[in-house]
Amino acid sequence: MASQVQASGKKRTKRRSTAQSMAAKQRSISVSEFFAKNRHLLGFDNPRRSLLTTVKEAVDNSLDACEEAGIIPEIWVNIEQTEPDRFKIAIQDNGPGILKRQIPLIFGKLLYGSKFHRLRMSRGQQGIGISAAGMYGMLTTGKPVKIVSKISIRKPAHYYELQIDTKTNNPQILNGRGDGLDIPPGEKGRAKFLKHKIDWESHYPIYEEDAEPKEIRSGTRVTIEIEGKYQKGRGSVDEYLEQTAIANPHVTLHFNDPEGTLHTYRRSTTELPPEPKEIKPHPYGVELGRLMTMLKEQKEGTISQFLTGSFSRVSPAVARRICEAAGVSTRSGVKKIERSQADAIYKAIQVTKIKNPSTDCISPIGEDLLLRGLHRVVPGEFYVAATRPPAVYRGNPFQIEVALAYGGVNSVQKVSMELLERLLEETDTRTLRQFMMNTFDGLGSDSADKIMKAGEFGSRQSPGKLDLSDRERLHHCMRNVNVSDGQSMQVMRYANRVPLQFKTRDCAITQTIMQTNWRSYGLTQSRGSLPSGPVRLMVHMASVWVPFTSESKEAIASYDEIQKEMRLGLQAVGRKLGIFLRRRKKVKQEGERRSVFLRYLGEVATAVSELNGCDREDLLSNLHRVAKRVTKEADTKLDKSGKKITEESEVDYGDNVLIVDADHEQNLITHLEKADPQKKLF
Amino acid sequence: MAKKKRTPAQAARKAKMTAKDRKTLASLVGMADGVMKSANRGRAPHLEVPSRSLSNVKFNQSRKIIEMGSAKNRRELFNLSQARTYMQTMLVGRGCKELIEQGKTTSIRGMYYLLKHTIEGTREETFDDQADCDPVIEDVEVTLNALREELHVYASNRGSMVGNITLVDNGDEINCARMGSGGYAIPSIVEPEIMQFVECTADFILHVEKDTVWRRFNEDKFWKEHNCILTHGNGQPPRGVRRLLHRMHNELKLPVFCLLDNDPWGYYIYSVMKQGSINLAYESNRMAIPKAKYIGMRSRDFELCDLNPSVTIKLSENDIKRANQIAKYPWFEKKKRWQKEIQKMLSNGFKLEVESLISKDISYVTQEYVPERLAKGDFLD
Repeated sequence: MASQVQASGKKRTKRRSTAQSMAAKQRSISVSEFFAKNRHLLGFDNPRRSLLTTVKEAVDNSLDACEEAGIIPEIWVNIEQTEPDRFKIAIQDNGPGILKRQIPLIFGKLLYGSKFHRLRMSRGQQGIGISAAGMYGMLTTGKPVKIVSKISIRKPAHYYELQIDTKTNNPQILNGRGDGLDIPPGEKGRAKFLKHKIDWESHYPIYEEDAEPKEIRSGTRVTIEIEGKYQKGRGSVDEYLEQTAIANPHVTLHFNDPEGTLHTYRRSTTELPPEPKEIKPHPYGVELGRLMTMLKEQKEGTISQFLTGSFSRVSPAVARRICEAAGVSTRSGVKKIERSQADAIYKAIQVTKIKNPSTDCISPIGEDLLLRGLHRVVPGEFYVAATRPPAVYRGNPFQIEVALAYGGVNSVQKVSMELLERLLEETDTRTLRQFMMNTFDGLGSDSADKIMKAGEFGSRQSPGKLDLSDRERLHHCMRNVNVSDGQSMQVMRYANRVPLQFKTRDCAITQTIMQTNWRSYGLTQSRGSLPSGPVRLMVHMASVWVPFTSESKEAIASYDEIQKEMRLGLQAVGRKLGIFLRRRKKVKQEGERRSVFLRYLGEVATAVSELNGCDREDLLSNLHRVAKRVTKEADTKLDKSGKKITEESEVDYGDNVLIVDADHEQNLITHLEKADPQKKLF
Repeated sequence: MAKKKRTPAQAARKAKMTAKDRKTLASLVGMADGVMKSANRGRAPHLEVPSRSLSNVKFNQSRKIIEMGSAKNRRELFNLSQARTYMQTMLVGRGCKELIEQGKTTSIRGMYYLLKHTIEGTREETFDDQADCDPVIEDVEVTLNALREELHVYASNRGSMVGNITLVDNGDEINCARMGSGGYAIPSIVEPEIMQFVECTADFILHVEKDTVWRRFNEDKFWKEHNCILTHGNGQPPRGVRRLLHRMHNELKLPVFCLLDNDPWGYYIYSVMKQGSINLAYESNRMAIPKAKYIGMRSRDFELCDLNPSVTIKLSENDIKRANQIAKYPWFEKKKRWQKEIQKMLSNGFKLEVESLISKDISYVTQEYVPERLAKGDFLD
């Protein structure tokens, strides 16, 4: 740079470009082109994450479609490795299917969808996701997106192979001379599926012995081949599906991973979440620019009609008050509103008191289902859930739900030798310590250090350079070192039932958890960090419009109203956890107390009997009786094995708490109060 | 211990018991009966142990001794922090009974070894160390209102005596004027049953702080020249020394004079001898000598005796703190001369040991310092 400046000082430089020559190069950019270049904005920045994003977008779409059509969702996820760094991903649902003419547009055009223009709670928002995944596949492998969709058991299924023309953001159909392929229903169709080598799950799997296989009436299957990387651990497909199963207890998921293992998460309820209603925007949530666009779109009528008709919670009386404050006649025509008047109306809206939007447009998971979902997937001893009443930020209704599971074993202790070996091969971390912290969720640095120390591994030991005996030693240490102390809380974040897996630190959920004081609830926590302990926490935000920090939808933006609701939810579950932990501590202390007394009773009895010549055994049995009475609290908690603690009815946790007997492998439910969240909320 | 069988020899060794022994034994049995009674009724047994803390001592203005208040601490078996001490208290009671029945005495260290064993079925010891045991012995003393001697436990022998007195110790007649350079070692138990005074011609008692000073006086035959009894207690005098001084003071009507260092420690030794100690407040009335007098060293002696500055020792932070504490004790608070004395030491900023007088002359202390002050009656009360 410096040399250039010097050079320009010496002689006059040639003019580089003219306005004319520049104009020749100026042209519009297609959305597809933009996102093809900026794919990281959509979550396709590295191979591992691309794989996850692809699965995620497809599954989210399937769930949305099923729920909208009122079908209990069943989803098949198939990941197959075709080349060392290429994967074929197929996702099928039992949803309503897609009309033939819509298929190319939905999968082959960016920003085409049904969800952007309405205010309704759904997983997808923009209509970018699945088509972007297809485009990413095309860019990295050159393979088209394959779609099979069927809308009825009697109607033919449609098969398309699609590509996006990135220049024009339009779909190109590759098969059947640009018209796709129709597959008739019934036996004929089955032969055609086989002939064209099209995969299709035609029947539901059977769980009972002699049940008839049921045919899938409708649904959509999308297959995308992409460059990716399959790796277990944090931020993996496995984790995403597990978390999805927790937040969607009405969904059955079949996941066939690249190693050919089939994981099935079965639904725990057949009840669909209530259908969320679509609402009109609330005046408080509308910016000036949007207000002006809406005014422009409105072809006729008065300003009063416009306000009452386009917004929720604006009655004619409210509209009049807004107009009065803005100095605009209620009867002036929309067409005649000028820019300055629009500005006045916008300002008037802000100062006028308007009722909060109705909140029946969001459907929370509900405390009962949260507990069930969490209990089904996460091992633990104590579960508690809290659904907050709906609240509003920037005119958008939203609702926060929090659920917590305490206890259970960390994944690090469940890992098998084979899995560990594979994890060690797959990892790209530099040190063993990093490997453990990144692979196993909730394993804090302290615990990792403990394991390293127990195994006498060097601090800079590379995970790739372990020989067999080292690996066995590591496995042994991981299983046997007590890691529950140093464990940090594992947080599962959800927005509209979709798990969020990246950008943990940026998220309002994580920030709120760290700001909450967990010490008063019996957990340890250093300032400004997550609390430690064997705790799994899930936080769900349901809203018609979740404020994400970016298009890849990974972190919720921190609005004060949202953080406040989260805090209240966290405190609600925290209090219950505190009761449980204190109670447990007390029981443990009582037990210890008794053992202390019993230890000394023999000595006391001997001394006394030698002093006054009384019968030692008599005295001892009397003293034992007193000891039992004094420490009877420990007794009520002791069961046959002599150490187990079971809660009894005298502790009133209220509803929404589930306590599981940790000693029983089957995880018996000992106490489950059904809560009806809907009734409570509205 | 529970399994320790009594050998026939032990049982046969039952010694003759004095009336006092029988009384002590009865109160020990009473303590055990209490445990049995409450256990039979299904109640949690407890002991009432008089509190031995500073908050439970009072200075009796008329008798001029420290007395123990009436505050008592409950020691409960079924209290997590007291269970172990409770068990230890019972063990000490049992140990004492064994000693009394056999007519033997032992030191507190012996008691510790007698009772120390591993609790059955655990890896816990009944007593971790001697420090674990000593306070429990004192607790038993106050609980039973029995003296340590009555429990057949004694402290270590510390302190010597020479002078014109003849006494009988455990049946042996001892003439303290013929004890050579070592002197007569004052035993821990000097009760009338053990020790009787036969003859005494001395006029007063001179108690010095340490062995070194005592030897100076003994070598110079100070006691012959001034017809007195010369004792030392090796620092803070043990019970035996204090009890013996108390007996000689009261039974033989001998005034007691103290020659101690000019430092907070010396002041406190004087305070203990005169008023009794906080820890053993319950024994004050048989140990304290309210009429004891303080000869020296005094703060003013530095100028008075024209001492060399190099023999002074700088006061430490701790010394200053302690001096201020002592100045606030109720038995010093109202004595103007003592307040002046302590203030003088603090303003001096140094302390003086008795040995510093040797810098004047080896026998300055025996030939000039003490005789001069005795003659003038110049001492602190």
